Amino acid sequence: MKGPLFNTAVVLAGIYVFLKFILPLFTAPLPASLIFLYLALTLGALMIFYTMSGESLEAFMGPVHRFLVGEGQTGVANIARLLVFIVFPLLVGWQTYTKLAPSDDPPPESRTIHPAPPGEFVGLANPYPKNNQTIQEGKGIYASNCSPCHGENFDGKGLAAVGFNPPPANFSDPGTIAQLQESYLFWRIKKGGVGLPVEGMPWKSAMPRWEHELSDEKIWKVIIGEYDGAHQSPRTWEEEE
Amino acid sequence: MAGRKILMVALVTTLWYGWLGASWVFPSDPPPAGEELESVAVRVYLTEGALPSDDPHSAVWDSAAPSEFKLAPQVHWPDRIQEATVKSVKVRGLHNGQDVAILVEYQDPTEDAADAAALEFMVGDKKAHFAHGQELLQVEGGPVNIWYWKKANGKGTDMSAKGFKTLRPQDQQDVSATGAWQDGTWKVVFSRPLETGDEHDVQINPGEWISVAFAFWDGQIVDGAIKEQGSQKAVSSWWYIRAEPQPDNSIYGYVVLGIAMAVGFEFFLIRKIRRGNQA
Repeated sequence: MKGPLFNTAVVLAGIYVFLKFILPLFTAPLPASLIFLYLALTLGALMIFYTMSGESLEAFMGPVHRFLVGEGQTGVANIARLLVFIVFPLLVGWQTYTKLAPSDDPPPESRTIHPAPPGEFVGLANPYPKNNQTIQEGKGIYASNCSPCHGENFDGKGLAAVGFNPPPANFSDPGTIAQLQESYLFWRIKKGGVGLPVEGMPWKSAMPRWEHELSDEKIWKVIIGEYDGAHQSPRTWEEEE
Repeated sequence: MAGRKILMVALVTTLWYGWLGASWVFPSDPPPAGEELESVAVRVYLTEGALPSDDPHSAVWDSAAPSEFKLAPQVHWPDRIQEATVKSVKVRGLHNGQDVAILVEYQDPTEDAADAAALEFMVGDKKAHFAHGQELLQVEGGPVNIWYWKKANGKGTDMSAKGFKTLRPQDQQDVSATGAWQDGTWKVVFSRPLETGDEHDVQINPGEWISVAFAFWDGQIVDGAIKEQGSQKAVSSWWYIRAEPQPDNSIYGYVVLGIAMAVGFEFFLIRKIRRGNQA
């Protein structure tokens, strides 16, 4: 069985196994579309190689041709050949159906989780120091206003959290407030969901516009309490440079 | 010359099989792991004949698979509540090309005059906030259409809002509603023509995805006061609803055409190879 066709199959399988299973041990998993692209490039390169001369092309395509025309084939190979000829049109029909069948899935939505804040909220510093008093004050404000959705444990699992889409942020997740500066939280708390730009889909967010109910002082203090309660630290300018 | 033909055939074959194989092996990446939501959309099934618009218990409703949505106490704006009676709702939809009927089914231990239910829809092209289309600060928002039912009224009310304190019954009333309570469960049917010609209404075109939200009030009297009323209610944020379009049978014609072309391609391929071998 060894020959150019066999070698091609081995090379493609090897690259697939490497990209799909071995590479993710060292880096992030590759998307399926990228793996497909790499395999297509490899196949293209091999095709160019095998079509360089008549002999190499014959060595590569010869077995395929002989299989397709049924040249000198025994019973089992002939049945396999027949199966290929039956399955191929059915596959094309199935593909046509799945491409044309109306979808019952809603339109996809790509919501930006942390869109850019308006200029006036960039780089504001918390005017209140982090100490026991401000932490306790902040946690008190959090308990009465924020915890119904964001949870007593700052994990986004409050009693009211289940009904909302998108769900309330989980502050203990390192992907939320640990990635953000205090000024960003100040904007999001003060202006709420309705203050988001279009890419944040402001019409879906249940985050209240707290400026109607909490003073700036309370908002800054709740930020201190939130970071402490979630065991996270705000992102700072120094770390970015 | 024969070599060039064989090369072309080889390339076409490889591309065909490559494309088919790739579609099998790489359908698409699975969605990121996370909590699976129970439903994201209500499917309004196409049916024939009259809709069970005034009968929440009709057996016809069994033909429509329900979607289920969890609800939260309304904590978005004052006056808030921290816990609401209704925790989730099952929603079924039917339409017959003329009218639409939507059945909501939810647990409420007591039957009270102030019990109420509402469906909310975005109207027009502009996105509206699920809280009565309240003002968006960086985006121009649109209005909402609310279909409201209250046990004491015994009928549906067609309403509009664009912002807090703007909720008003419309001049042109198009919505009917009827509710039935049994063993701790409310079943309420809302119905309306798919299209009303009223610019304040959501127009339901089969095949089109529309944003929908839900609200429920427990009107039980506790300590002389109604437990949930006004902004104190169980709510959802936006989900989708879609009326099924008429089935498109032309798809099967294309499937047959695709199969015929594939069979033709096989004959063409073998002929080419045989001729190439003879040359």
